[in-house]
Amino acid sequence: MTGRREFLSSVRASLGRSPGEGPTAAPPGSDVIAPADERTRRAEQVRAVMAERAGELLEELVGSAAKAGWRIHRTTSDEEVVEAITRICSETNARNVLKSGEQSIADLNGLDESLASAGIEVEWAVQEQTDGEAAHRARLFESDVGITGADYAIAETGTVVVHPRGGLSRMVSLAPPRHMAVVRRGDILPSLDELFLLESEALANGTIASSMNLITGPSRTGDIEGVIVEGIHGPIEVHMVLVG
Amino acid sequence: MADPRLKSALEGVYEGFNKGRIAAAADTDAWEAQRDRGRAIKEHTIVNLDYYLEMLADNVEKNGGNVFFARDSAEANRYVLEIAAQRGVQTVIKSKSMVSEETQLNHALEGAGVEAVETDLGEYIIQLAGEAPYHIIAPAIHKSKDEVSTLLAERSGGRRLEDAAELTMQAREQLRGAFRRADMSVTGVNFAVAESGSIVLVTNEGNGRMATSAPRIHVAAMGMEKVVPSIADLSTFLRILIRSATGQRISSYVTMVNGPRRSDDEDGPEEFHLIVIDNGRSKLLADPHLREALYCIRCGACMNACPVYRKVGGHSYGWVYPGPIGAVITPVLTGIDEGKDLPFASTLCGACREACPVRIDLPRMLLELRAQAVESSGGKPAGLMWRGWRAGLTRRAAFDGGSRVGRWLLRPITRGGWTRRLPFPLGGWTTSRDFLAPAAASFVSRFNRSNRNKSR
Repeated sequence: MTGRREFLSSVRASLGRSPGEGPTAAPPGSDVIAPADERTRRAEQVRAVMAERAGELLEELVGSAAKAGWRIHRTTSDEEVVEAITRICSETNARNVLKSGEQSIADLNGLDESLASAGIEVEWAVQEQTDGEAAHRARLFESDVGITGADYAIAETGTVVVHPRGGLSRMVSLAPPRHMAVVRRGDILPSLDELFLLESEALANGTIASSMNLITGPSRTGDIEGVIVEGIHGPIEVHMVLVG
Repeated sequence: MADPRLKSALEGVYEGFNKGRIAAAADTDAWEAQRDRGRAIKEHTIVNLDYYLEMLADNVEKNGGNVFFARDSAEANRYVLEIAAQRGVQTVIKSKSMVSEETQLNHALEGAGVEAVETDLGEYIIQLAGEAPYHIIAPAIHKSKDEVSTLLAERSGGRRLEDAAELTMQAREQLRGAFRRADMSVTGVNFAVAESGSIVLVTNEGNGRMATSAPRIHVAAMGMEKVVPSIADLSTFLRILIRSATGQRISSYVTMVNGPRRSDDEDGPEEFHLIVIDNGRSKLLADPHLREALYCIRCGACMNACPVYRKVGGHSYGWVYPGPIGAVITPVLTGIDEGKDLPFASTLCGACREACPVRIDLPRMLLELRAQAVESSGGKPAGLMWRGWRAGLTRRAAFDGGSRVGRWLLRPITRGGWTRRLPFPLGGWTTSRDFLAPAAASFVSRFNRSNRNKSR
């Protein structure tokens, strides 16, 4: 088999470059060489914008997210979040709900009781609290609703950003036919540019997660005669619960 | 293409994509500047490709993933089969990957007794039908609802369903089983990031997310040109790719994978493998006239805009990549004789160059390949003619000068607007037909004159 060395030396030969040769010029408008302190400085600016323009970005998100197919629920407190989630679950006849394991969802006081009183079963999507791999997988694929928080939302595109860490499962926002994401004021970025500036800082300071998902509305396809259908492999219906 | 209903449905789809792209461009801040930035980054990365591939490989390994460099299809497939055999894999789910169409991975897996299930709905439909993709963004767009209905009903032994929404739900149910039982996934790569060792997948259906969440093993396969230097480059590339492909502001999902799951992650694949494939691309890289074909981000905009693709359809190009970009890369990547006629199947109208988000000069390369094809078949004079043709069409002064000289040369042998007999070596053209003489003044000179008159 061709090894890495042989492969790269053939690429070099095609370009007429020699081994160990650096790039021909600084990458145009690209910051592959930006040092860590520069990345931190830019990320600080992004965080300042998120705080200063929080109200305005929330309003912009309401518009872009609705356009992207999210159903929007506005709340002003955690109690209202619990009420909203319970109401949506009841209205959509959910029987079992899967909660992602991150702190922001665990902190929603009274959620389990509220859902239980509506006759809805709640499970944590956390491996160690379940009865083995197969049962865990079955639950992921058979629950009616998945609830997650959001690391960020993006006002430009109506997007929810999740990193699978701190207890957040990749599958909870994906496998059940309905997904509810709780998005908080102050976590909203203006555009994709700012998201990747924050990720670029996370790379430099070693806090980047193993994966990141940008979720914008329900899953969709146009593969049968170009007709757009919502709900193919991911959720069929998605709800954004905004706080603040 | 005999079915007129299908033909008009396809026209509607291409026009929808085209209009979506144009509307999205108008709706995007500094769209032209984003295209320029995308092109500049691609240009930089491709001329330093060895440097960025090395950086990418180092960082994937640092993240706990494995990297394999494959010279050709056989090496790429052999690597996948080895992992599958070593880990006792029975089912592989595929998330749309054009490069695995190149390597015919499904065929190789099935030959080794491993079930391979395409999970992009369009790819699934053509897998059931045993066909090749018709369009890189919409692979099964040539299949009527009726045909899809029959294929899905045969698969599940169920009843035939009528509308697109019902059929989509039927496919969802059929593919859920594969997602649940698969041990391994094979995905494509939209962008690979050198500085972080990441891969990025753009999907609307969620199959790319399933493939990077559910199975134990994730294998990503990329053509070697897919690397970009930094994370901060992604916002530009995601914008120009998605808006050019479907006209959406963003796809339903963008997934970034920075290696296998970590010990404290709830879920995700335990193993991550990245296969970097050449498969003929170094021939494009080595030819400065054709190198920019490697800037392609596979959005499909050139197909939707191309009058020839829209007439002849995606299967007429004979290989994996149809449309103008297919006509450029197929003859080089496959190196087979059939592909060499593809560059001639174009009107050189320039719609593809206009549509391309990274401004790839496809018409120029089609002319270059015509010249190369004719030369390699021994037709030196015709090869020279295509080169002259290219020079004449791509340089303003040469075009103006050439048409002036031609007009002057033809004047003595022109009668009533037609030339009966062209001089050697062009005499062959007029043995059975006349040659329409050029107008007395070119369009450009008349246009300029009338503009001058107007401005007076």
